[in-house]
Order: sequence, then structure tokens, then C-alpha cells
Amino acid sequence: MSVVKEFTKGFWDILPPFRLVLGLCPVLAVTTSAENGAGMGLATTFVLVCSNVLVSLLRKIIPSKVRIAAYIVIIASFVVMVELLMQAYAYPLYQALGIFIPLIVVNCIILGRAEAFAGKNGLAASAADGLGIGLGFTISLFVLGGVREIIGNGTFLGLHVLGTSYEPFVFMVRAPGAFVSLGVMLALINWISARLEARGRKA
Amino acid sequence: MKDIIKMIVVLTLICAASGLTLAAVYDVTKGPIEYARLKNVKEPAVKAVLSGYDNDPIKDRIQIPIGKDKKGKPVNLVVFPAKKGGKTFAVAFEGTGSGYGGNIGVMVGINLAKNDITGISIVGHSETPGLGARITETQFTDSFKGKSLAKELKTDQINAISGATFSTKGSVEAVNQARGLLEKYRDKMVQGG
Repeated sequence: MSVVKEFTKGFWDILPPFRLVLGLCPVLAVTTSAENGAGMGLATTFVLVCSNVLVSLLRKIIPSKVRIAAYIVIIASFVVMVELLMQAYAYPLYQALGIFIPLIVVNCIILGRAEAFAGKNGLAASAADGLGIGLGFTISLFVLGGVREIIGNGTFLGLHVLGTSYEPFVFMVRAPGAFVSLGVMLALINWISARLEARGRKA
Repeated sequence: MKDIIKMIVVLTLICAASGLTLAAVYDVTKGPIEYARLKNVKEPAVKAVLSGYDNDPIKDRIQIPIGKDKKGKPVNLVVFPAKKGGKTFAVAFEGTGSGYGGNIGVMVGINLAKNDITGISIVGHSETPGLGARITETQFTDSFKGKSLAKELKTDQINAISGATFSTKGSVEAVNQARGLLEKYRDKMVQGG
């Protein structure tokens, strides 16, 4: 039961970019299209699950005074691994994400989960936690990227969905559009959760 | 004291394990990465200058050692062969010439039997936009098509770009360099397939 809960909390209760408001740097930068968003999200998920598992396995061996250093080494290794694999098998995606792949190392979500969860919990729970949060992150990036791609470029996953007469609102795929769409999304999610809470109290 | 030793040992072990794993992953992905790079960076140029082949020129590429750079590292000429029915009938590789703003890299496709140019494609340049940079336009590159490589190519054989003499000369120089390489290494290029 608790493993399921650790898994599902990543989708709403602590949905990374919107509830924890962590890891915003890649969120803002790479969500210019749904594909980039999903790619970045999946790369992060891979690193998150692997580092959570390893940190959880090693949590009794790693002395607490050097735990952050050990976590960083573990995370960095997985990130380099992702970078190499992506270069070998998904080169166009690698080019699109560029510097933000190596920057996963300093993504606060990953170090945050290692420190706050995997360093204190067992293997199964940590893996579930990593997978849940990672997929939550991926979906958030996918949705955000999708919205920006549709409005800013008239396409979704590279397909024209709004017809040729649509004049793309390029602002949305530029940097300011990232802030605007993130803000709107945050407001929307806060509003929904406030409504849910109010209903819960009434019942 | 015991704590410190434990810390050192654990961190060392983690770093060593990480190093080993990464070395292994690097080894495995080295080949595919090189292939993916060439596929995405060079294939468009290769496709532009060669046609009618049924192989994968990127996969069948031939590396020919042509000398050493200043640091003593070997320099390889990468040749992309175009084959039909297993026989190499044309090759594409890069030549460089100096233009107005720097080096001009030109991918040259050469028909081996006829010894003429099947097409050229500018792969890298830093010429003046609007003037020298017009060497990338098809009007210019297409004028190289079918030109014989029996003799050195001259600027009056092609559609020179007015106002961009250096860029035009640089492109021709690059093609002529490729011609020189072809003469020197023709056997190896054909043999490779």
C-alpha cells in the first residue's frame, strides 16, 4: 500500500514543477515543444530512479558527513551515462536539449529526493518515489511543452494541428512565453487544488 | 579517526565504481556516437552530392590516414562511398579552400568511372552574408555538376559569383584539393568497398 502511495504522490500531491516548484530551470528552457519536454522528463526520470535506488541501497554505508558528496557522484555518473546513450541513440534530441542534459546533475529534484527520501527509506519505496516523481515531472513538461508548441508554432509533436491559416504566436516558444505559461499553469493547479480542498472540507 | 578513514574509503570506492562504469559505457557508446554524429551532420551533405546508391555511405565510410597534425595526431580523410550492387561507383569527401572570411569546407561528390563531379555542397564557411555566403545557393553549387576532374578546375568553368571573387576561388580551391586527394588515394577509395 505504502509503495503505491509513494508512487502516486508524484502525480499530484508533490507534482515537482507545480507543487514543489523545483527544477524550474530545465522546465522553462526546454519546453519549447512537447517532444523536447517529454525527452527531458524521461532523461530526468531515468537518473532519478537510478540514483534513488542506489542511494537507498548505500544509505547505511555512506557516512552522513560525506553523504552529499556521495550523492552528487552517484547522480553525476548516471547523468553522464544518459548523455552518452542519448548521443548514441537519439542524437537530434541530444542536440535540442543541449546543455540541459549535463545540468540534470544540479537539478534540485534529484538531489532533493536523494536527501529527503531515498537516504531514509527502503529500496522499493525509493524506487517508487523516484518513478512517480519522475513521471509526474515528465507529464508536466510534456503538457507545458505541448501547450507552448501548439500556440507558439501551430504544431503538436511536429504535426500541424491548427491548419495553415494559423499565424503562430511565436512569443510562446520564446523565453518570456515560458514564464507566462508556467505562471498560468501554476495558477490553474492552485485553483483546482483549492476547489478540491474546499469540497473536501464541506463533505 | 575511524570515522575519517571510513569516509575516505567509502567515497573512494564510490568514485572508483563510478569511473569504471562510465568507462564501460563510454566504450560501448563510442561507435554509435560517431555514427550518429556523422549521420546527422554529414549525411545531408552526402545526400546532396550523391544519388542512386543502395548502401549506407555513412556506415561504409572509409578512413584514410593522410598525415599528422601539429600535435602529431594522425589526421584521417573520411570518404563516403556510394555503392550499387556492392560496387563503389562514386565517392564523396570534403575538401577545404580559403575564402574571404576563413576556410570553406566543401563536400565533393565524384563519379569514379567518368572522373567528373556529381555535385558539391558547402558544409562550412564564414563568408560575408549576402555576398560570399551566396556560395551555398544552388545556382552556384549546381554549376559544378558534371565538370571533369581530368584537369584542375578553373573559376571560368563555373558560375562565379560577382562581387565575391575570394569566396568563388576558395570553393574552387576546395574542389581542386579534393581532386588532389582523389588522385593520391583513388586506389584506397575504390578498394575500401
